Amino acid sequence: MTRKLLSDYGMFFVLLLLCVLFSVLTLKEQMPEGSDAAARLIEQINNEFKKSDIILVVGAVNTGSGPFAEAMFEDLRGEGFSNVEKVVGIPRDLKLKLDDIRAKGGVLAAIATTGDVPKWLVIELIPEKYPEFSGYKVLAPKSYMWPVFLKRSNLLAIVDRIVVIALIAIGMTMVIITAGIDLSVGSLIALSAVIGTLLMKKMGGLHASGWVVLIGFLVGILSCGIVGALGGLVVARFKVAPFITTLGIMMMARGLAFMITGGFSIYQVPKALPWLGQGYSLGIPNTVVLLVVLYVAAHIFMAHTRMGRYIYAVGGNKEAARLSGVPVKFVIVFVYIISSLAAGLGGCIQASQLNTGTPNIGIMYELYVIAAVVVGGTSLSGGSGRILGTLIGAFIISVIQNGMNLLGIESYTQQVVLGAVILGAVLLDKARSSGGMLAFLHKKKKY
Amino acid sequence: MNHKRVITWCVLGIALAAFVSSCSKSPRYKGKIGVTCMDLTNPFFKLIANVMQEEAAKYGYEIVALSGELDPAKQNNQFSDFVAQGYDAIFLNPVDSRAAGEGVKKAHEAGIPVFTYDVQVTDEQAKDLIVSHIGSDNYQGGLLAGESMMKVTGDQGKVAIITYPEVTSCILRVNGFKDYLKEHNSKLVIATELSGKGNRSDGYAVATDILTAHPDIVGIFAINDPSGLGAYAAVLKAGKTEQITIVAFDASPAGKQAVFEKKLYDSPQQFPRKMAVGTVEAFIKYLNGEDVAKKNFIPCAHYYYEDSVDDKSRVTEQW
Repeated sequence: MTRKLLSDYGMFFVLLLLCVLFSVLTLKEQMPEGSDAAARLIEQINNEFKKSDIILVVGAVNTGSGPFAEAMFEDLRGEGFSNVEKVVGIPRDLKLKLDDIRAKGGVLAAIATTGDVPKWLVIELIPEKYPEFSGYKVLAPKSYMWPVFLKRSNLLAIVDRIVVIALIAIGMTMVIITAGIDLSVGSLIALSAVIGTLLMKKMGGLHASGWVVLIGFLVGILSCGIVGALGGLVVARFKVAPFITTLGIMMMARGLAFMITGGFSIYQVPKALPWLGQGYSLGIPNTVVLLVVLYVAAHIFMAHTRMGRYIYAVGGNKEAARLSGVPVKFVIVFVYIISSLAAGLGGCIQASQLNTGTPNIGIMYELYVIAAVVVGGTSLSGGSGRILGTLIGAFIISVIQNGMNLLGIESYTQQVVLGAVILGAVLLDKARSSGGMLAFLHKKKKY
Repeated sequence: MNHKRVITWCVLGIALAAFVSSCSKSPRYKGKIGVTCMDLTNPFFKLIANVMQEEAAKYGYEIVALSGELDPAKQNNQFSDFVAQGYDAIFLNPVDSRAAGEGVKKAHEAGIPVFTYDVQVTDEQAKDLIVSHIGSDNYQGGLLAGESMMKVTGDQGKVAIITYPEVTSCILRVNGFKDYLKEHNSKLVIATELSGKGNRSDGYAVATDILTAHPDIVGIFAINDPSGLGAYAAVLKAGKTEQITIVAFDASPAGKQAVFEKKLYDSPQQFPRKMAVGTVEAFIKYLNGEDVAKKNFIPCAHYYYEDSVDDKSRVTEQW
């Protein structure tokens, strides 16, 4: 039972472990924000201050302390505090307000706020710069502990950063299962992005409609598909090693992307471009929807269709597959086309996320994609592997990168850690697939 | 007895040390600032990050410096992480002046102030959201390079430019160089303009080809010190150090040393320390509620042999 669980979901446990680890490590004091927190503070103000005292409610613009300040202001007014003042803005706005109060000869009794506002230097320097306000107090709600890692915005950031790699990894999984490899995907991201955005620029630029964006995306993706078909033909028909074929394409595609743009970014793009990578449908980010739909489709395709089984057969034993009537060459061309189309789609998402077509995106992505596939349990020698494993592999890489950024680990160290974790994950996978991990544990007990 | 005395002195010593250190203790911890730059393997940016660290610590802030590794998508992700973490500010040195705009918008929506250094954000919507920018006046530095080139060649002959057109600041340097020659009706002819990708080995390779195609040039302007030094290696190999003068850019310690050894004639100087200190100061001013200037340009300065003789920084500094 344990062995079965471990062998099926070993990598999933690694992912879970990483999530727990980063949750614990990023526990941080959070200040309550929004209108609930205001209610509790009002009670305190009611008890401690006179209705005529000057109370300044402060919120930072665009943060949770903004609505907090708005709610607080309304409520205090409602309670009968006649001299409540409100600032929602940047430190400069607060300073102007303080100057204003002083100019009118008022004496500040309290500042009520939350979030990062108490850290503003303006507040700290009040005793020095506004000696008239000597009796003032800074009031803030009680803080609580919560991991930054598990904040909604962070979980979305994890998906956002991995969506391109995870999508391309679908195609790469198929290629690797046929015992091939596709190094061109990183460059194809750039090629698709610049072809797509250039077309959008030519078809009206900033003022073009959503249809133009769709056409741009389709052309970008299809161009990559054509490149993939050519590469697949070279591999299948002329038996050139996939490594060399796709290495050649990788260099050509990157060069082409730079040639097309002259090395500059294309930014004269329609307003609808960011929708795919940054927009929401029914409250769910489009990237998440896309990821779920494509992974479910790919899983069904690989596990339950004839073509899916052919792909495994070609990777397992090419000769045996050919003899049993599998169209080997067709299958090979097919997987390279899928891989390139996926890379093309990845390029569209990346262009959408950055709202720009840039020829230098996707550098090194082929290696991250391959790492995701291998961490996900697909064998580089072909014949075995699972699509959902790849998704887990992609998330492991994303979570590590995100977690290290949250912890503020230096860029140099990050590379070392990421490399070590990838290697460690694969070692772990090897150990469990040969039943080795449990055997290893048992062995130890004997001594 | 003796032991006791030693122990007593030790305890007293430790107590004293603790007292002294608590007196000079850095200010109370306030929060974190996220820094993301083009490339931390480039010593120029590493130095800026280090100086920012020292400066920010004086005010109780901790710097988390990440490298965009010349990948705009990666930098965009780092922005998301800074925003998720709710840092107090973000110092940005964009990999791509346009693409970085998306990250800036995200930070703005989360109420986090963004300061840029060295390279500006040019995205139409995002550029107004930047609190403040500080950088070298690269165009003016280019003018200085043009001036030096005209002076040293006697305004006579053909020159080559080793560019790096992927980077805006380098384009500005080249524009400044050309404009100076144009405005002063220079008789210098620009024979060719090729990319040395801002590094030594590509600078060497491209300069070798330039010397093959135009053996009669009298000067080379390289947009930074590494490509300038690469060009020098090519000129040296061709045995043309007497014929060809090189003007580079940056006055990095390696460049300063090369000026001192008369390998480079001039290297208009950038001031990374001023840039780092200025960025932190702008943030503190912002927190203070003071008015922060939207743009600060630090003028470049000539760096000739005379400047290098007594300049210890070419040996002691490293970037």
